Amino acid sequence: MKAGIVVFPGTNCDRDTKLACEFFGWQADYIWHDESSLHDYDVIFLPGGFSYGDYVSAGGLAKFSPAVLALKEYVKSKRGFVIGICNGFQILCEAGLLPGALSVNSGTRFVCDLTGLSVNNTKFPGKINLPIAHGEGRYVAPENMMKDINELVFVKYTDNPNGSTDDIAGLYDRSNKILGMMPHPERAVFEETGNTDGRYFFELIEAELR
Amino acid sequence: MKYMVEVIVTLKDGIRDPQGAAISTVLKRTGIEEKAEISAGKFFTLAISAENQDAAKEKINTICEDVLINPILENYRIGRFDQV
Repeated sequence: MKAGIVVFPGTNCDRDTKLACEFFGWQADYIWHDESSLHDYDVIFLPGGFSYGDYVSAGGLAKFSPAVLALKEYVKSKRGFVIGICNGFQILCEAGLLPGALSVNSGTRFVCDLTGLSVNNTKFPGKINLPIAHGEGRYVAPENMMKDINELVFVKYTDNPNGSTDDIAGLYDRSNKILGMMPHPERAVFEETGNTDGRYFFELIEAELR
Repeated sequence: MKYMVEVIVTLKDGIRDPQGAAISTVLKRTGIEEKAEISAGKFFTLAISAENQDAAKEKINTICEDVLINPILENYRIGRFDQV
């Protein structure tokens, strides 16, 4: 299993993601954002952070990076699995690879907390907890799209921390090959962090690609 | 031709504006304006080159729609539009 972790100027969860991948025995490489081919990799991570300083909007400038253009080719050729976490989720929405958008939290504040989640997958327990850390995490989509979007939902907040529509914390695209989510599974893999619920997500990716 | 253009980006109706709400709260609390209803947005000035005014407007629209706004959340309008 070979994971590629795209690093934009301002990305800051790349190391956590690499260490988490290596915990599962995967090979994990950093990919600088000016890379124009991703086909060597079975899974591509867009990690959290503040790509391009989050200028204009979170993820709004990263979508023009060569690596994101290459990601579109990667998706089109059905090469592997794509997961965007936090800023990565914002980039996937901005790039049009996932529906909807992430807007400023309803409480105005940046939220940094452990949050309860329910995952729409039988391999997960009823409720898990994962760290969140974002200022622009309120999931929004046009009302006439919400019926379709609710079929794509993968993870919901049990105690909505940011005003997201229908408590949505993460969702798939139609092909089930692209996943975006605001919570950080890579920050909950090692015992030292006090929470290992993030392991379920890496196990899920492993199962998807087997 | 060179043009200097102002672009104003605002949130669409129905998109919650916590920044504007926070400013409104402060204005009410301080008594500066009891009935404050503030909305926050973004302001850009763009210096661009184009063959003529129509081409410049087309270019500005492309920049706004592709780069400066998220069409799910935001609208934009052009403010000053000067040939320089």
